[in-house]
Amino acid sequence: MDSDIEMDLDSDNDGEYDDDYDYYNTGEDCDVERLDPKRADPEYFEYECLTVEDIEKLLNERVEKLNTILQITPSLAKVLLLEHQWNNLAVVEKYRQDANALLVTARIKPPTVAVTDSASTSAAAASAQLLRLGSCGYKTTASSPPQYRSQMCPVCASSQLGDKFYSLACGHSFCKDCWTIYFETQIFQGISTQIGCMAQMCNVRVPEDLVLTLVTRPVMRDKYQQFAFKDYVKSHPELRFCPGPNCQIIVQSSEISAKRAICKVCHTGFCFRCGMDYHAPTDCQVIKKWLTKCADDSETANYISAHTKDCPKCHICIEKNGGCNHMQCFNCKHDFCWMCLGDWKTHGSEYYECSRYKDNPNIANESVHVQAREALKKYLHYYERWENHSKSLKLEQQTIDRLRQRINSKVMNGSGTWIDWQYLFNAAALLAKCRYTLQYTYPYAYYMDGGSRKNLFEYQQAQLEAEIENLSWKIERAETSDLGDLENQMDIAEKRRTTLLKDFFPVDT
Amino acid sequence: MANMAVSRIKREFKEVMRSEEIVQCSIKIELVNDSWTELRGEIAGPPDTPYEGGKFVLEIKVPETYPFNPPKVRFITRIWHPNISSVTGAICLDILKDNWAAAMTLRTVLLSLQALLAAAEPDDPQDAVVAYQFKDKYDLFLQTAKHWTNAYAGGPHTFPDCDSKIQRLKDMGIDEHDARAVLSKENWNLEKATECLFS
Repeated sequence: MDSDIEMDLDSDNDGEYDDDYDYYNTGEDCDVERLDPKRADPEYFEYECLTVEDIEKLLNERVEKLNTILQITPSLAKVLLLEHQWNNLAVVEKYRQDANALLVTARIKPPTVAVTDSASTSAAAASAQLLRLGSCGYKTTASSPPQYRSQMCPVCASSQLGDKFYSLACGHSFCKDCWTIYFETQIFQGISTQIGCMAQMCNVRVPEDLVLTLVTRPVMRDKYQQFAFKDYVKSHPELRFCPGPNCQIIVQSSEISAKRAICKVCHTGFCFRCGMDYHAPTDCQVIKKWLTKCADDSETANYISAHTKDCPKCHICIEKNGGCNHMQCFNCKHDFCWMCLGDWKTHGSEYYECSRYKDNPNIANESVHVQAREALKKYLHYYERWENHSKSLKLEQQTIDRLRQRINSKVMNGSGTWIDWQYLFNAAALLAKCRYTLQYTYPYAYYMDGGSRKNLFEYQQAQLEAEIENLSWKIERAETSDLGDLENQMDIAEKRRTTLLKDFFPVDT
Repeated sequence: MANMAVSRIKREFKEVMRSEEIVQCSIKIELVNDSWTELRGEIAGPPDTPYEGGKFVLEIKVPETYPFNPPKVRFITRIWHPNISSVTGAICLDILKDNWAAAMTLRTVLLSLQALLAAAEPDDPQDAVVAYQFKDKYDLFLQTAKHWTNAYAGGPHTFPDCDSKIQRLKDMGIDEHDARAVLSKENWNLEKATECLFS
């Protein structure tokens, strides 16, 4: 367990763990919640904040492990792991099942295999092939003796000696200079692990070692390695870059859920799954939709919503600046339909289903127009509440400053010591926490379908809202009301908040 | 401009000039400026297509990073085709986008475009309106495409009915190109076209 979390928990459940009372050895039916933080707190999240070096080490370990099992080069191992979300077991299993298919889907080999390789579905043959792919490098060895025969490069159209030529498993041979310029052009465009062969209709991927053999300019090599590292981290479901400005930290957790991670270096809190601000109980897709909707006022957002969509696979933002509806993601090479965002492969002639709406903008507009007023009203209802809590949160610092002043004057007047009033800060922190959750219940409710579930949720929401108002009121008047009452109120508010979140983060049993 | 781009373009230019297709007058290429960054291509409409008899002019812009990035190609001659924008001339062809490979040449580009004219891909459209007509009202599509070929690319087929409808709209003060575009879009329904223009 991470030490940060422990600390966090301790401060939340002040005192509970400090008791000398031994929970574990009492035969009594004591509070189960206290035994297991996973059950007590639905937001409980185990994670680690790691540096780039830590992650490099971690990824390299995986690569090495695969190397030893499959006897392949690190470069090939990286490609295979990247394609399988760094799941060593999956790679090994697929390799044992059908090594050839594995190499083809990872785009290490071309789909149509040369006749001599037709027997390579057996693991042994494939293994031999992997070894060959990895060990002898990428020098073209087809013609003999290659180094004396001059060959023409189809890209630069110049004739050179055979030993200047390199090719991938597909056998397409190009001269060293062309490969190098090509790699640099691709790296310049931010492409690293997805660089493909230069031949027409060939999608065989260029592994890291060939790129690093040929690209010698240190700037370009660094860039390549940075981009590749980003690709590796992004393809790893258990890793997430800290979204803090200029922060190099990468958060790791084996629990892939929309829980809050807090960077130990820059203290940015964010959702582990999507990297945005923590947003429970709203889920990642919904909050993105909501935030885009809320930002509608700005021209940029208008432009983004009018001209861009997110890749359905890797969620990178794509601007369509021309061309047809058959899109291929620049980042992950996923083919999809721009209109419906469905997979292009399964799309076929359904195109018309997608274009119908666009084809008749007038008809669509008319019906939308009628609904628009009602929709706007609904939106504003939720938006006002969302914005209200957001503003209250921003004023939190002022509230705490005011609190400090008030406590100061109390202490000066001799009513209690500084320590006596500390509980007020705890109360203020809890208030902020509850407000934060409450704020994020509104986008969730906005996109929720009507029905009993929504009724229940809105009931819980109203309860939390009421308790928060009570808490806020009691903090304002803390000096006159008694401590027990305030603590009771804190407990109630936190319980309401937890109840609401429990539905969102189902606790493992 | 990068050396390789220039030397490649020079070479490809010669390749086109020497090709059989030039002899048959089915493709043509010429320089627009001395820096080899912009060329003008021309392809003949393939036989047995509505584009037969037409000459289609293309704008070809060669990027600095050629041949590692594709040339930017667009139709200057207006054309009615599912994969080519009837408004801008933008082309939807995989080899001009993600499937470009450094080993391809100007000649393969021109021939691929010619092949595109012969075999449209309505499921992968650039112009949804044209694609819809292609799939839904193929006869009307053929007529419209022939009419456009006649009007803009010197094709042989004339359609007096189309011309008279365009004239009607012109009489109302509509620009000829706009009139043709709207009528084509509205499947040559004069009433609908008028409504679309004046509503």
